Amino acid sequence: MPSWQDFQPFIVSGLALGGVYALSGVGMVVLYQATGVVYLAFGAVGAMGALIAWSLINDAHAPGWVGWLVCVAFSAVVTLGYGMVFGRALAKRDPLIKAVATLGLTLVLFGLMDLLWTTSGGESRAITLPTDGGGFTIGQVQVDWTQVIGLGAGIVITVVTGAFLRYTKLGTAMRAMANDREITATLGVPVRRVEAAAWLGCGVLAGVAGVLLADLVALDATTLTFLVISSLAAALIARLRSITLTFAAAILIGLVHDLLTPITSLTNYRDMTPFVLAAVALLVLSRSRVLSRSREEM
Amino acid sequence: MVGKRKHTSGARWIITAVAVAGALVAAGCGSSGGTSTTPSSTSGTKAPSTAAVSTSQCGTKAGATATGTPIPLGVIVTNQPGTSFTDISNMAAAYFACVNANGGIKGHPIKYYIETEQTNPAQIAADAKQLVQTDHVVGIVGNTSIIECSIDSSYWQKLGYDIIDSGIAPECWSTPNSAAVNMGPRYSSDGAVQYALSQHVSKIVFDQSNVPGTGYIAAGPAALAGAAHVPITQLTENVPISDADSVAIKEVDDAGPNGAVILNFTPPEALVILQAAQKLGLEDRVKLWGCSTPCDTDFLATSLGPKWNSKLFVNAELTPADGTNTHTMNLYRAILAQYGKAVSGGIGSFSQFGFVEAEVAVKALETITGPYTVASVSAAFKAVTNFDTGMLCQKWTYGNYSLHIPNNEDYTVTPDNGKMVTAQGCTQISSVDPQIKAYRNVAGVATADPTAG
Repeated sequence: MPSWQDFQPFIVSGLALGGVYALSGVGMVVLYQATGVVYLAFGAVGAMGALIAWSLINDAHAPGWVGWLVCVAFSAVVTLGYGMVFGRALAKRDPLIKAVATLGLTLVLFGLMDLLWTTSGGESRAITLPTDGGGFTIGQVQVDWTQVIGLGAGIVITVVTGAFLRYTKLGTAMRAMANDREITATLGVPVRRVEAAAWLGCGVLAGVAGVLLADLVALDATTLTFLVISSLAAALIARLRSITLTFAAAILIGLVHDLLTPITSLTNYRDMTPFVLAAVALLVLSRSRVLSRSREEM
Repeated sequence: MVGKRKHTSGARWIITAVAVAGALVAAGCGSSGGTSTTPSSTSGTKAPSTAAVSTSQCGTKAGATATGTPIPLGVIVTNQPGTSFTDISNMAAAYFACVNANGGIKGHPIKYYIETEQTNPAQIAADAKQLVQTDHVVGIVGNTSIIECSIDSSYWQKLGYDIIDSGIAPECWSTPNSAAVNMGPRYSSDGAVQYALSQHVSKIVFDQSNVPGTGYIAAGPAALAGAAHVPITQLTENVPISDADSVAIKEVDDAGPNGAVILNFTPPEALVILQAAQKLGLEDRVKLWGCSTPCDTDFLATSLGPKWNSKLFVNAELTPADGTNTHTMNLYRAILAQYGKAVSGGIGSFSQFGFVEAEVAVKALETITGPYTVASVSAAFKAVTNFDTGMLCQKWTYGNYSLHIPNNEDYTVTPDNGKMVTAQGCTQISSVDPQIKAYRNVAGVATADPTAG
């Protein structure tokens, strides 16, 4: 078993990844609350935005900030466009159908990325942020500013989104739609506009996550597309309801995943972390619900 | 006479242009800020100087288009998200196109059937049947697949095909009817470990993708480290890697300050580990980093930057393309420039493999005097002996052996400001690896360093 000192660097990397998972998870929860859609294309949209940014920066020699903005803008436009085109048609469909429809968008984007940013010649790509170079040391552990931003972004997005949902008119409308879309509409809330805002916000978060994960993890279509699984697991643990719980679950997933790395006997199973935690959480939550119902019936 | 591949750069720019337009509308003007995105890992080596070598030298009759009955050859390559070897078959196709435009094989053009697969055994078996039963190919040249050798080896053997390939699965080297131009992951990893041992490291950490065949690959480095009495830690990582920081920390912690970390990954996966190490300031926490052949690409050297100059040492199975000005290298560049539009990666190991495979096949086909049949083509392939490809450290021999490791001598390269340059010239892979020893016992050693003289 590794010593406490051996685990320390993995706490830092786990917190950073957990922060970005939280940012993504919060975006997914807010969108689900407003539209009932589990947005499985979250990772693919961010991945394609990041690859476009890479092309702009490296092939067109655009400044880095232009690339990052384009990544966010691309993700926002594609997500909003998808929501506007398919949102109405899918509004009354089963949640499973809505989710599978976003899987379609994932596959389209994934295929496009494979076609346009091929790796057949051994191509390898990377985006680095100015914050990679600097940092500080805690004990013997090196922390770079991008890791701090990763965790910070997760915290800030969670707090700001929480305040937005609680204190703004638009946020209140979104919460109302989560309870009952039809009644909310009959009360005069412009549901289409509220949904559009949710799609747009989710797209912006996908773009931000795309840039951060391209730096923290890898600029690779497959990797970024399927990193959505960790965020989705966090959102599922929170039953797609609580953004605070989503944040906590995302941090837990990031931490557990990375802390398993130095444990030789478990290291090759660490990618199971989001699945295992989500499955355990859902089982425990279902069991508690069954028990409480039984008590009520008694 | 070959399949065509879509060109992607134009489409990519359309998408990018649309994205830019969208960005300007949606994002408005941003504030100014610094940029520290990594330098481009461009494929700007696509139109290199060819030092006055004409492509007409690839054939026997300059400028005479071959019009005879086509000689059908086939290939199966992996082409899936994250893993594509199509540059190898596309470069072989470019070579054949050049030959067809310059006399062909005694007036016969080569028709090259390219089948792609997605690591699906049923699909791979069907591809082989398609080539044999529908396309009636008489030879297999250039197969490069994660599992094709394992799936089709006995099929080819049963039908009498002796194939020329670039291998990955163990059967590409351990069977009598497959001869590879590359060393593959095991022997290339041997080379990287061998270089590290020559630098007197105190420990080896060997990390590779968690894919089928890791045990077979790991056996080589384990044997080398064991013989040198240097401890070795074997690691595997699930790919694609989603926690590069953790992987890099683990490797460095395991290796220690006088140790070496040796990677056996595809270039994108190796890059994420090395970049994570760089971000965390870990590159100097070990004595050296090593990598098997896939890292031998300017894409990687450019993306990594100068911190890795003479810190990362990559085993190179083929003549380093940068700075080598031999006739063969110039012909390769000329063919790539004129016929290799579909080779997306430009100059690099993959296209060099395709060049050598096609080169060997053409030389063999030119020796056939009768009809071109499976039997005559296979016999011609097997008869290739001590052929100087101009791209390998040693002369290439097929031969009638129970196993084939004809490429078992290699270079070591290191990044040098965006290019890979030679750190160590041709060096034999140690016979401490029992497979290498077994091969040398039956085939001996033949040296032909193409960079010398």
